[in-house]
Amino acid sequence: MRHVIFRVEKERYGLPLSAVREVVVPPERYTRVPRAPAAITGVMNLRGRVVTVVELRQLLHLPEGPTPLCRVVLLDRGRRDLGLLVTDVDGIEAVERVSAAPGKVMPAVRGVARLGGLGVTVLDPEGLDAAVVALFTPSK
Amino acid sequence: MTMDMSRYLGLFISEATEHLEALGRDLVALEREATASTVDSMFRHAHSVKGMASSMGFEPIAMLAHRVEDLVDAVRQDRKLLDRDLVDLLLSATDTLTAQVRAVSSNREPEQAEGLLKQLSTRVQSLTGHAPAATRVAQVTALKPATPSGDDGEGSGGGEGPSGASGSGTPGGNAGPAPGSGTPGSAAGASGAGASGAGTTEGSEASGGSASGGAGPSDSGASGSGASRGEAASGAGGAPSSLAVMPPATLMPPRDLSGPDALYGAPGARSLAVVPENDAAASVAALASGLKAAASAGDGKAGSPRWSVRLRISPNCQVPGVRAFLVHKRLSSLGTLVDLRPPLEELKAGRIPDGYIQVDVETGVGDAGIQTALRNVAEVEVVSVAPAVPEPPALPVAAPALDPARATADAGSRTVRVRTELLDYFLDTVGELMLATARLREVGKVLPENTRPALEEGVYRLHTLVKDLHDKVMSARMTPLSLITDRLPRAARDLARRKEREVELVITGAEIELDRAILDELADPLLHLLRNCIDHGLESPEERVAAKKSARGRVTVTVRRARDRVIIDIEDDGRGMDPAKLKASALKRGLITEDAAQRMADRDAFLLSCLPGVSTAKDITDISGRGVGMDAVKRVVESVGGTLEIDSERGRGTVFTLRLPLTVAVVHLLLVEVGEEVFGLPIAKVVGATEADPQSLSKSRETALLPHGNGLLPVHALEVLLGVPAAPKPGYRPFVVMEGDAGTGKVALAVDRLLGQEEVVLKPLSRPLDLLPGLSGVTILGSGRPVFILDVPRLLTA
Amino acid sequence: MAKRVLVVDDAIFMRNMIKDIFASGGFEVVGEAANGLEAVEKFKELKPDLTTMDIVMPFKSGIEATREIIKADSSAVVIMCSALGQESLVMEAIEAGASDFIVKPFRAEDVLAVVKKVLGEA
Repeated sequence: MRHVIFRVEKERYGLPLSAVREVVVPPERYTRVPRAPAAITGVMNLRGRVVTVVELRQLLHLPEGPTPLCRVVLLDRGRRDLGLLVTDVDGIEAVERVSAAPGKVMPAVRGVARLGGLGVTVLDPEGLDAAVVALFTPSK
Repeated sequence: MTMDMSRYLGLFISEATEHLEALGRDLVALEREATASTVDSMFRHAHSVKGMASSMGFEPIAMLAHRVEDLVDAVRQDRKLLDRDLVDLLLSATDTLTAQVRAVSSNREPEQAEGLLKQLSTRVQSLTGHAPAATRVAQVTALKPATPSGDDGEGSGGGEGPSGASGSGTPGGNAGPAPGSGTPGSAAGASGAGASGAGTTEGSEASGGSASGGAGPSDSGASGSGASRGEAASGAGGAPSSLAVMPPATLMPPRDLSGPDALYGAPGARSLAVVPENDAAASVAALASGLKAAASAGDGKAGSPRWSVRLRISPNCQVPGVRAFLVHKRLSSLGTLVDLRPPLEELKAGRIPDGYIQVDVETGVGDAGIQTALRNVAEVEVVSVAPAVPEPPALPVAAPALDPARATADAGSRTVRVRTELLDYFLDTVGELMLATARLREVGKVLPENTRPALEEGVYRLHTLVKDLHDKVMSARMTPLSLITDRLPRAARDLARRKEREVELVITGAEIELDRAILDELADPLLHLLRNCIDHGLESPEERVAAKKSARGRVTVTVRRARDRVIIDIEDDGRGMDPAKLKASALKRGLITEDAAQRMADRDAFLLSCLPGVSTAKDITDISGRGVGMDAVKRVVESVGGTLEIDSERGRGTVFTLRLPLTVAVVHLLLVEVGEEVFGLPIAKVVGATEADPQSLSKSRETALLPHGNGLLPVHALEVLLGVPAAPKPGYRPFVVMEGDAGTGKVALAVDRLLGQEEVVLKPLSRPLDLLPGLSGVTILGSGRPVFILDVPRLLTA
Repeated sequence: MAKRVLVVDDAIFMRNMIKDIFASGGFEVVGEAANGLEAVEKFKELKPDLTTMDIVMPFKSGIEATREIIKADSSAVVIMCSALGQESLVMEAIEAGASDFIVKPFRAEDVLAVVKKVLGEA
């Protein structure tokens, strides 16, 4: 299956092409979402639609880093307008044989695969969606 | 050739869903009163779903719909058969069908409902005395393969080809000729959907051609009848018909023809085909005289010549009985039929050995007349026509000419269906056009004075056009409320049955239209309010009788229009609400003060039921898998720009009143700034604004108090309330005084700046933003900046 | 000149499918009707070369509509669209004057074969 390959700093990630609507450049400024979890960067106006932008780094609990985040990967999730803030998008590649990711099981991560000799973490669109919703639902 | 059925998938889903919804409504109506028209309508809905599903190749759906159709048909014959269990069974079949259609809509194969099919079959058998018939389903592939195969990312596109090919590889028992169906892959592959049409035509012509391979030139023994070929031959390139007419007095046809050789023009059987090319006038004249002859023959005059006709129903014919009946009817119109074999009853029942039919016709139209009568009947091969007694040559006949000069196509208004996403897209795009226009106007302001008028004129024109377009898009989005109220009778029935209540639900004004986006949001709240009425409002039949009410409770849903608002009243005649109890409950939870409770009017007290926790604990409805309480009802209604009111009288009932905007809410906002952020406050809830120095305000515990009128209002700094970084300058600050709700009362919000009023289109919040308390919507300002609209009472309580 | 067709069916789905089939066969669909009442009106207005007629429809059945159409124009060509199991209804329609019939679910080539045959084009 063809995947959109993108990076958060040096780490590479993939999402099925069918789950990605488009990739856009982030706006100069976001509208802050009051009382939203820290991972929510804000909302942006994309051709009249209000897109919620989530910082993938925080969604995946990665350590904070200095690299500028310069692309928004828009998920194709029906009426939900959700964008993932990433460092850069590398391109579209065929990803085969996804194997289980080592370490802690996360719903947002489907597994890992090898691409051109390098590892890529394959994300699960539904899991990402669920992870975002989980951010908003206070755990009791 | 196989048609590409996937293009009909969307239409199948929407139309089948509509039929199933209507079926469900009919079932509920049926239980109240079993009228013939309701049963007929149910039959039609089931029948339509079956037809569509079988065309799409969705066997589980077609089978289930077929069983439902059978069962409804049985009820149609005798309405006394109807009982509650039967309605339950049909309702659950309807639900299952709906689920199956839904499965299809998410690109899954519908599951076979084995258990239900068995139950339905048993009922059909016990009611009618015979087992239900098998369901025939087209062999097509309408769904895309679940996973695109191979590593080609454009797998879905490539998938069309193979799926089309596999479809035509199973031609449903039609022994069609090879040229048509043998090379489907290449044709489909070459030019996509367009090729399927051409291939189809080719196939059917080829089938005609192959059947008449033996038809060759002949001598002029029957020159008259030759005229009939002119028309036919001009239509299709190859000898089109399979007629094998034996000129009278030449050869007696072999009576025992049975093999395909005989059928398809074995050399021995002389076939006739004399075609003086064209000559329309001759053929028309021939037709006229042929018809005249047929008419006179129709009198059934004794003494007409007798012709012996032998024909064969095509083995591909699905309903040979009907085919044979059609043949019988055609021949009967020519004269008298004698010695029909098999006899008519056998024919009608489709009991026709090898498809052969033999009959003598006493008619004056001659062999050509007979040929003509049968020429246009599909799936029938005329094996032979010969005089039972020798006769003079027959009259020339031609195929019926069709009047080419006709009125132009209908000019009446047409309607098309548009997917809602497309309507949403239109609205979004028009919104963008408006923004773009506003930006153009801004740009124009910095141009030199002398170049401005031209631009301004253009912008003005653009603005007018866009506004007009916006109006049109908005009116296209208007949808009758019945779209959601139609679900209520079924829900009422189920709820009432579960609670062992008797309920009469009356809905009026459902034809009134609202914007589609508002309608979508309202479906769950309406259901919840209905449930509230039935579960909590209405008493048990015994209680009602004791209170001198009719045992059957009544819930009315009344929709009416008042200027630019739509008002929906949901009213029950039950026990009513107790304001004192609601106040006590809110008090206990610390949601209101003792003092506020004392002074609170009943109408406000009823609204306490919308505060989380006051009465919702036992009151959460599980609708489509998520809990919906009264607080959610109120929130949704307000998020689309509406209001909720509750009125109630002990012992008399309760009425919930929803006042809704007609179109996607255009709201007036007061825009305020805190830090670098801008927020919108609904003007409708703004009482006023004032300025004060926060340092000078008196305090009660930690809360600052702002003098307002005769009292003091609690002050909240908006930046604190929202968690926005801001460092307010010392000194005077603007305060906005807002209407609160029953729990909070009025409050004052400290902001950094008042930016002014604006009229905006409110957008509902999509997930995950709708999970945040305190936001009632979002909008995009003329500058392109998204701005959230605040729900202040929720901000304060959540 | 392309033959002119009136398509009668209460399901838009079926109408669209039939329309596409006719279009692929070089016919011109000049009108549609969703019930028997409308069918008779449209027939009188459009005078099509051929009418395809669903049987089970609201307001007025396809059989009744066929009867009225034939009454208005005895040379009208009406082709019934039926489902398996409706044999007796189709026979009733034939009695009423229907020229031929097709059985749902149908394939494009079957429909066109019957239609061309009926119109004398095959």
